[in-house]
Amino acid sequence: MGSQFTDWQGRYYHIDQVLDKPGPRTDPAFLAGDGVKDFLRNQAKILVIGAGGLGCEILANLALTGFKDIHVIDMDTIDISNLNRQFLFRTKDVGKPKATVAAEFIMKRVPGVKVTPYFGKIQDKDDDYYLQFNLVICGLDSVEARRWMNATLVNLVDPENPESLKPLIDGGTEGFKGQARVILPTITSCYECSLDMLNKPTAFPICTIANTPRLPEHCIEWASVLEWPRVKGDKKLDTDDPEHIGWLYTAASARAKEFNIEGVTWSLTQGVVKNIIPAIASTNAIISGKSRTLETTESVDNTHPAAACCNEAFKIATSSAAYLNNYFMLIGTDGVYSYTFEHEKRDDCPVCGGESLELSISSEFTVEQLIELLVEKQDIQIKKPSLSTPTTQIYLQAPPQLEEATRPNLTKKVSELVPPEGEVTVTASTLPFNLSLRVTYT
Amino acid sequence: MVEAQDIPTATTSIVADGQPDSKTRRYDRQLRLWAATGQSALENAHILVISGSATSTSILKNLVLPGVGKFTILDHANVTPEDAGNNFFLEGSSSIGKSRAEEAVRLLGELNDGVVGIADTSNVEELLEKDTSYFTSFTIVIAHNLEPKLLETLATLLWSDDSFPPLVTVRSAGFLAEFFVQFHEHTVVESHSETAPSLRIDKAFPALLDYSLSLDFSAMDPTDHTHIPYVIILVRALEDWKKAHDGKAPQTYHEKKTFKAAVLDLKVKFDEENFDEAESQAYRCWTETGVPSEIATLFQDPRLSSLTPTSPPFFHLLSALQKFTLEHPYTLPLTSTLPDMKASTTSYIHLQKLYKARAEEEKERFKTLLAVPIDDSVVDSFVKNAHALKVLRGRKWGTLDADHSLLINALASSPKQTAIHLSLSALSALTVKQSGDISVEALTAEVRSLLPPSSELPEEFSDAVGEVARAPTADLPNTAALLGGLIAQEVIKVITKQYVPISSYCTIDLVDTWTGVI
Ligand SMILES: [Zn+2]
Repeated sequence: MGSQFTDWQGRYYHIDQVLDKPGPRTDPAFLAGDGVKDFLRNQAKILVIGAGGLGCEILANLALTGFKDIHVIDMDTIDISNLNRQFLFRTKDVGKPKATVAAEFIMKRVPGVKVTPYFGKIQDKDDDYYLQFNLVICGLDSVEARRWMNATLVNLVDPENPESLKPLIDGGTEGFKGQARVILPTITSCYECSLDMLNKPTAFPICTIANTPRLPEHCIEWASVLEWPRVKGDKKLDTDDPEHIGWLYTAASARAKEFNIEGVTWSLTQGVVKNIIPAIASTNAIISGKSRTLETTESVDNTHPAAACCNEAFKIATSSAAYLNNYFMLIGTDGVYSYTFEHEKRDDCPVCGGESLELSISSEFTVEQLIELLVEKQDIQIKKPSLSTPTTQIYLQAPPQLEEATRPNLTKKVSELVPPEGEVTVTASTLPFNLSLRVTYT
Repeated sequence: MVEAQDIPTATTSIVADGQPDSKTRRYDRQLRLWAATGQSALENAHILVISGSATSTSILKNLVLPGVGKFTILDHANVTPEDAGNNFFLEGSSSIGKSRAEEAVRLLGELNDGVVGIADTSNVEELLEKDTSYFTSFTIVIAHNLEPKLLETLATLLWSDDSFPPLVTVRSAGFLAEFFVQFHEHTVVESHSETAPSLRIDKAFPALLDYSLSLDFSAMDPTDHTHIPYVIILVRALEDWKKAHDGKAPQTYHEKKTFKAAVLDLKVKFDEENFDEAESQAYRCWTETGVPSEIATLFQDPRLSSLTPTSPPFFHLLSALQKFTLEHPYTLPLTSTLPDMKASTTSYIHLQKLYKARAEEEKERFKTLLAVPIDDSVVDSFVKNAHALKVLRGRKWGTLDADHSLLINALASSPKQTAIHLSLSALSALTVKQSGDISVEALTAEVRSLLPPSSELPEEFSDAVGEVARAPTADLPNTAALLGGLIAQEVIKVITKQYVPISSYCTIDLVDTWTGVI
């Protein structure tokens, strides 16, 4: 890599202080000196998922701490509202892919670092791709993508091959709050194990939206959920398109006026339809990787999560200090409050637990009711599930022929199709794994 | 969602079709956190940062991005090869030998066209001797790893008058760090508390009571019955209960249970969710609305007994609030914000109007109690946030180290946090006395000299002091980034006077990944 040209004398003066000597709490296995520096600077290969608020911070911190082979995946392009915190982007970059612009910026600013961007989805890559890395850091704002990444890394683990275990560091942020966690797939609690910790997305009942709006939010939901498809037909609503937001704003305002409701604004309209949680630069810096997990949420970034994530990556890669076991949360609305704890692995975790999830339902429950229950369950978070047993297809969402063929089962009782203690396999296009349920009846 | 509703007042520049201008779009996410008032405070601020270290530029990055008005980096040093290796706001080896302040200001400036950056290559020590007014002209001053004698002089200077800017002191070594915000007094109106103010169901105002009594539940159209807001149901049920119970609300467990059952008995159909909601909110009937204890405590503030026309508006407002609570019904002014509840549009909007009208009346009453004229928008915000006001009183930097009893208490109550504080204090002291290796022994001896003779050092002390000896001059990029995030956040809270800033030492251990306060 020609590092002898870019590694000027004194470049690593700061970092080397913790690599040349152990501290009082450093693992005795830590090999201070040249060995660990060579691994960090010439061998370690690290993958960053996301080049948004947390991702920008993560990339800069990793580069400065001495990682020289960094890969980054992001499927988004730069929007003007990113510029108040995603500090690798400038006004001239609006519209360009985040991964590419971020990679170029880091390589220019921190000489000798190679950042390889991929402008696309994490799902585009196969197991061999992920196997090449020592570590993965996730700075994503999407629950779905994190679940996919988590499940992929858990499935990658081959007990015969210790190299197949890739530590996953996950960061998230929301306003003045942030978090960072370390996941050792199959060994510690995984992302799926803690799904019930996520905030439930705000959902307004359809009847309120359609018949009894009371808040400006109800009028905005009406415009986007009911009025848009009614007027625009199949045309997809693009929440990044100002014209679409403008249309919703006008429609919602008219409805609000009709019902004497105050408070519909452009900003609120955008906030509701994009499910925006406020974001500022400082929290990103802190966790450069915390986990807020509202689906379809526009990321909320504060910078501290990023720093915490990168610090864990550095400690794991160098053993210069023990890494986080396994969860760090920081709340800054009232003073500075943080909480470090071990999140426990769930035996019935559908990704890493191995045991089926027990579900007790009434013997009168219909298949349709079971589906509703699954969609509601906070620790599962699934949309449009398909159900089957080893012998029967209970209900399949797709393809259309099979949906039609299994639709009559929706009104049947589950107990007619599944014996007590019977296994039901749940699949969904958004889930990168199958969920196994053991059904009992009351 | 409540936050989001505050934005319209903030975003003044909206183009014809309602679409916000490019500045509002750029700051969209943060405006949802602190609105236009906070943004304007930020844009009027001028921040001084002493040193262009990696930690200093990390803090500044998080203030330049959201659009602080001006910042000055005061640093007479030139970029060393060591600086060029750990600071993202230097351009690698090409910055070596150039002014550190100028390089950092240039690269930080690229983050936001709307921010003015000033590089000042004067020597801090000389400025502190010759021109103290330099330091007092800023909104807030931040100093990273400033040598102890200069830090003490600066802290004493900025503490010497109430009107001088707050000082943020930051010290770090390797994986350990601490920061402290020195300020005299900090008042917060918009604390963004998650506690909602009382709906005063137990002390229903006349219009609310009259309305709930005017409805004949049993004669209502079934659809309307399903849409009576729970507030109305409870006011009515409570009034009926009081008539039968000597004017008293339910008190015993049994009475409360009976009351709830009576509420559910009002249902005409089993699936009337508004009555279920009323039952679950029934506690509001026996939770007496008074003055919250945190607010009552503020009425004891010495500032109120020595109020003069030139006292800060906050205390005039607080004084008026106290007078307000001494009148019937002995509560804070009514909130005009109604939570969502099961109701038809018309019944909800009607109820909302009742609350708004009453809140407006009470606000007018509140205004008559003010001894000095205060801008309406300030009064509005104060009344709206009256249930979550904060008054913080800070300490001078160094107070902890100067007082043996405080140190002993801190060691006993927060041993690992105090261990970090003392180790960093010892490091600052030693760095000036000696050059070369910093040993655990020398640091420990220095710590002992800060403590009363024969004090016990906690178990955790060796962890902290060992880490400091390991990396005494290391400004690690990750530690710098974490400090950058945390400190910028506190600075924003201080400048915007929103949310609640920290008023103690914050210590950070990135070996075991925790933060703590002393
Ligand atoms: Zn799991």
